[in-house]
Amino acid sequence: MSVPPVALQALGAFILLNAVILMVTYVTLLERKFAARMQSRIGPYYVGRPHGWLQPIADALKLMMKEDIVPTASDRWVYNLAPIVFLIPCVLIFATIPFAPGLGLADLNIGILFFLAVSALEIVGLFMGGWGSNNKYALLSAMRGVNQIISYDLPFLFAALVPVVLTGSLQMSAIVAAQQGLWFVAYPVLGQLAFVGYVIATIAAENRVPFDILEAESELVAGFRVEYSGMKFALIQLGEYAHVLGTSFLGALLFLGGWLGPGPAWLGPLWFLLKAVLIFLLVTWVRWSFVRIRVDQILGISWKLLLPATVLLLLVTGLVVAAGGGGGP
Amino acid sequence: MDRNGGFWSELGPLTRAVGRTMGMTLRNFLRRPVTIQYPDVQRAYPDRFRGVLALTYDKETGAENCIGCRLCEYICPPQVIKVEMLKAPGRNYAKTFTLELYACEFCELCVQVCPTDAIIMMKSLDLATADRRELLLDKDRLHTIGLQFEPSWATGTRLRDMQAPPKAPREAKAAAKGEESAEGKAE
Amino acid sequence: MDVEARKIVEIGYGGNERLIMNMGPQHPSAHGVFRAILVLEGETVVAVDAVIGYLHRCHEKLAETLTYVQYPSIASKTDYVSAMTSELAYVSVVEKVGKIEVPKRAQYLRVLAAELQRVASHCLWLGTWCLDMGGALGGGATVFLYCMRERETILDLFESLTGARLLYGFHQPGGTRYDVPAGWADRCRETIAVIEGRVEEYEAMLDDNAFFLVRTQGVGVITPELAQEIGLSGPLIRGSGIAYDVRRAEPYSSYEDFDFKVPVETAADCYARYRVRMQEFRESIKIVRQVLDGLPPGPISSRPGVKSVGQVRVPKGEGYARVEGARGEVGCYLVADGGAKPYRLKWRGASFSNLSVLPHIIPGHKVADVVAIMGSVDPVFGEVDR
Repeated sequence: MSVPPVALQALGAFILLNAVILMVTYVTLLERKFAARMQSRIGPYYVGRPHGWLQPIADALKLMMKEDIVPTASDRWVYNLAPIVFLIPCVLIFATIPFAPGLGLADLNIGILFFLAVSALEIVGLFMGGWGSNNKYALLSAMRGVNQIISYDLPFLFAALVPVVLTGSLQMSAIVAAQQGLWFVAYPVLGQLAFVGYVIATIAAENRVPFDILEAESELVAGFRVEYSGMKFALIQLGEYAHVLGTSFLGALLFLGGWLGPGPAWLGPLWFLLKAVLIFLLVTWVRWSFVRIRVDQILGISWKLLLPATVLLLLVTGLVVAAGGGGGP
Repeated sequence: MDRNGGFWSELGPLTRAVGRTMGMTLRNFLRRPVTIQYPDVQRAYPDRFRGVLALTYDKETGAENCIGCRLCEYICPPQVIKVEMLKAPGRNYAKTFTLELYACEFCELCVQVCPTDAIIMMKSLDLATADRRELLLDKDRLHTIGLQFEPSWATGTRLRDMQAPPKAPREAKAAAKGEESAEGKAE
Repeated sequence: MDVEARKIVEIGYGGNERLIMNMGPQHPSAHGVFRAILVLEGETVVAVDAVIGYLHRCHEKLAETLTYVQYPSIASKTDYVSAMTSELAYVSVVEKVGKIEVPKRAQYLRVLAAELQRVASHCLWLGTWCLDMGGALGGGATVFLYCMRERETILDLFESLTGARLLYGFHQPGGTRYDVPAGWADRCRETIAVIEGRVEEYEAMLDDNAFFLVRTQGVGVITPELAQEIGLSGPLIRGSGIAYDVRRAEPYSSYEDFDFKVPVETAADCYARYRVRMQEFRESIKIVRQVLDGLPPGPISSRPGVKSVGQVRVPKGEGYARVEGARGEVGCYLVADGGAKPYRLKWRGASFSNLSVLPHIIPGHKVADVVAIMGSVDPVFGEVDR
């Protein structure tokens, strides 16, 4: 029976999309429980006792049932399309991640480049949301957000390129294969510094505390999301957490060896998930420990600190690789 | 953080500080949560807890303790108590006794002044309602509450005794006429 | 505030146009009901106009209608976060004008209550300040919940002592109303030992925290001259280098029996005030230990227990008594006319004077710093508006 490959790929995409959405909703529960334990409390408990297993479902249902309030003076098309434009890149990045050798929807040989380029497209959705809301404070927050994400996408890129240089290929499965002997995070000095730079840039590029001036309390209660309610808000939240999870997966792939781990090969995706969750928990741990800093200080850190440091790191990595006989083509 | 030249020398202390903060959070992660899952788990109220108010009956005779003297009405700062006295041979009663619990301050002054320990507070605040009128407690309701919950330690006599040293009891006074004046003064 | 700034309402983003923004009576960085009209040029605040009075509950008039025996429970509602010291101010002035003696044990109990209350109040201050600065979903919330956890243990102690958690009615003219129950002293010692350890944890989390330092150092500098001119008190003036503490300047309620330091810092910014309050934690714990060790036996009041509403009558006279509250000098001025009710009562709220410093120190800072400064000034609007 000949099934057109397009149909198979569409089916695969559908399965992956659902899997991603499920993972993302449950990762919010994980964050809430983790944060609660760090604050000497319990977190979601009643919905699906005793650990609040059904809480994400309850939240999703609640958001779906909420009234969808559209400000009358908002720019209709821009306002309504913004959540979707925000969500699509955040979910699309998962298409390029291989979860096991051969088990990836689109294991492009420019995988990393595609990932980084597409994940930066969320800025468009963010700004559309802030602009379309016709709200002075949403616009202010969106402008700050664009500023911040652009500033931090560059160190993010350079830190992510260090494993690429060490491998010699942009293809994600090749990067994982090159970590058979030694995970890149264990690579002397360069690996650790690149990992730290990657994590910091991730936190900032996703507007997480301590870099979340986007949603600072006294003026911008929810930032660019302030005028959204109901399902549109749910989509934006989904996009945000999908982005965090996506970059966690990428970090696990680049630095922590992807699906490599002891045990049989079919355990690979589980190890991968575990490592991604580990990075996610690290980001969450930072989030719940620090107060936020001002916008001028945030931009100062990026341009004066992180960017020169990561560029330098990349250059040094290149030198090391070239001196050691060069990587692949 | 945006100091250019001095950054590298500060990197050490900065890393240590970040590590310390995150270490504190991790330490709390490993502590037991302090949450008490009310209403599945009830907290143990201390003895002196100032909960809802109630009127009491005499333990031996079963008669109402309240003599309608209105001292509680006069002392209440937000004036939530209204009492009407009913004169009767032997002792007086309260004809009506209303207490507006929604405006009560729970200051325990009415308990303190009551000469017969009639009005007391309970070790519970479980009187939440959806209608404020249910918190306008009349005499029957107050007596019911008195039988429903556990009473606090504080009664008028006990509070007054605690606040000022008690005079020696009558029997001791009659028996030890000589020393008791000196005793009272030495306090 | 200059009139010119009031008239301009244009909204612009490039250049010198000024924007008038309301940090309105309800805003997420709580602290109470307070309206600050900020005039912004871009991100910098150029002028501040503070509007208060949203919590005015006519305390001073109420005091004229309630007797000396009824009012102490109401007095705790001025500075409701630090209720013991508010009540203490009122009963102190009644005792001063009425020449009522307070037995030694009662004085020690008052010191105990006041210092425990200071620890609890500073827990609240630290928690809400970090919450404002760090956001409701982030590190600020973590510090807030830790501080609340500690504060709840102190409130448990107060609950065993008086029966109430927030507004106590512990003081009466002549002494206190409640005595220490059995076993309370040991529990108190355990609690403050735990809190001492936790205060060290907070310092470990915040003292060197780079993010915290950039938000608080150099922000909201109050020069000593400005502090004295406006009449600040409490940690604000001690953070600016002036060692003024009512407990040392005019000792009341046996404070001269205890050995404690008055922490003073000279940097005069938010960080200095933070350091002052953190050291005050420790000093208060020291005082509590000394009180528990040296609590004398005896009556807890020089007057009989409250039995009637007009029990305390104060002869004609006037006087002023002040105490060192958690926020500064809380004072009461009483004019008595011989009856059971005051003729006139005037509250000096510490936060009221402390708030007047805002229009002087906020201009020049960014909007995000307004929150940090407000938190370090630590106003409680019960005291401001009464």
